Amino acid sequence: MRKYWQVFRISLADRFVYRTDFLIGTFLRFAPIVTTIALWRAVYAGAGREEIGSLRYGEMVSYYLIVMIARAFGSMPGLASTLATDIRDGNLRKFIVQPLSYVIYHLHLRMAHKSVYFVMAALPYALVFFWCRGFLPGWPAGELWPLCILSLVLAFFLGFMINMAIGLLSFWFMEVTSFMFIFMVSQYFLSGHQFPLTLLPDWLERSVTLLPFAYETFFPVMMLMGKMNAAEAGQLIAGQCIWIAILSGVVAVGWRRGLRRYAAFGG
Amino acid sequence: MTAVLGRYGRILFCFARNGLVRELSFRVNFAVTVISEILWLGMMLVFVEVIFRFTKQIDGWSNHEYLFLLGTHFLISSLFEAFFFGNLQRISAQIRTGDLDFVLLKPANTQFLLSFERISYTALANIPLGIILCVYAFSQLSVSLTVKHVAMFVVLVCSGVVTLYSLMFMFSATSVWLIRQTSASHFWFYLTSCSKYPAEIYKPMVRGVLWFALTFVFPVLIVANLPANVMVRVFEPYLVAYALFIAVGLLLFSSLVFNWALRKYRSASS
Repeated sequence: MRKYWQVFRISLADRFVYRTDFLIGTFLRFAPIVTTIALWRAVYAGAGREEIGSLRYGEMVSYYLIVMIARAFGSMPGLASTLATDIRDGNLRKFIVQPLSYVIYHLHLRMAHKSVYFVMAALPYALVFFWCRGFLPGWPAGELWPLCILSLVLAFFLGFMINMAIGLLSFWFMEVTSFMFIFMVSQYFLSGHQFPLTLLPDWLERSVTLLPFAYETFFPVMMLMGKMNAAEAGQLIAGQCIWIAILSGVVAVGWRRGLRRYAAFGG
Repeated sequence: MTAVLGRYGRILFCFARNGLVRELSFRVNFAVTVISEILWLGMMLVFVEVIFRFTKQIDGWSNHEYLFLLGTHFLISSLFEAFFFGNLQRISAQIRTGDLDFVLLKPANTQFLLSFERISYTALANIPLGIILCVYAFSQLSVSLTVKHVAMFVVLVCSGVVTLYSLMFMFSATSVWLIRQTSASHFWFYLTSCSKYPAEIYKPMVRGVLWFALTFVFPVLIVANLPANVMVRVFEPYLVAYALFIAVGLLLFSSLVFNWALRKYRSASS
């Protein structure tokens, strides 16, 4: 366990190097919220109704704001492509010869990244949420708090496993980086990042929520918005755990099978 | 004059040929990128369909009028990406690493060389997608098609591309001072994507200040909105004149800014 703690610490220090660029970047990531507010105002005005997809205007804007929180946990920028490059260029050798699991190594790396991200992003997030407080539905009910936090943490593990599983495809296909863009586009929509999945026709919503992606963003966000009772929240947590278990299994098996095919290119 | 044009024509042809050779060595990548662009557009269309399930119009834009705007946006951004985006994005790195020296030494206009060096054939392949969407949306609207309107549309699409080009070229030139601008480039991306939606939606924001700023100060809103307006909504000659004025004015201004920035360029390395 000590070695992974070291990985965590080194990566932590590394992340603190680019502070200013980071702070500005975090703020600017919220810029599209302006378009969201403008667009949905026009849509609600045009529709002439209070609720669209069981969400009021304020809730709709909050949805997009809270998606930012869920994404802060679940998104793994560059994870799948790092794995793909390591496999293709033969960099994986370095890890295979060490008494260290590649997957667990990266898990710690990501935990460190996320820890730094939360510390540094807290201020910009707090400011943006303060400015937009008029839209927000208020805090989730007291007894749901632990579940909310748990589901965000599980969203992190789920995001990690989904991206690992995709990256593992590199063992079988030489050039997967371009497929990753397709995957990212699909994930963007299927996870409810582009719009709340409740806006879809019922049959489509039901099919899309069968996939793991909705458990990464859409469901946790709905819970944070107070749209779920205790029973539904429990189901969500269970669903997340099941998907994490399934994907961990896929990663474990895929990793073992993949290593057998691995040719370790390069000198 | 013809000799100069001929020379630049030959350089352009050379760039285009090199780009094609590069593209052909990654054929699968080409196909996959095109597919993912189609997917992206498809997803956007799903989003539009979802929105219009609930409303008949967005600030006066009906479903098909908006689809036409989206098609125009896609067409303009594909044109921009095909010819300029990658080139302009690289300028910042060229300034940081000092590679700009090699471009400065060549006996041709620096802005020209920097702007046209690589053509992205993948983005070029997206252009028909934008046109198809426009044609489909237009066919669903009961608007009459006249030569004058189409000609205006073409001119405005071109001036939209020039506007985007000039803005981003100026932006890239600022890396002489800013050196690193990774977060700034995200912001750039966001600003240009504003133009995907009807300009009217921004009017109620901050008492119209935002709409004003994005139309007159940093004119990204007119890029796709104007040509779409001309074709499927209202034809206002003064807006067309304004768009042309902006495009030409910004192009000249961007060249001035660049030459000014060049004087501050310190090169890099030894």
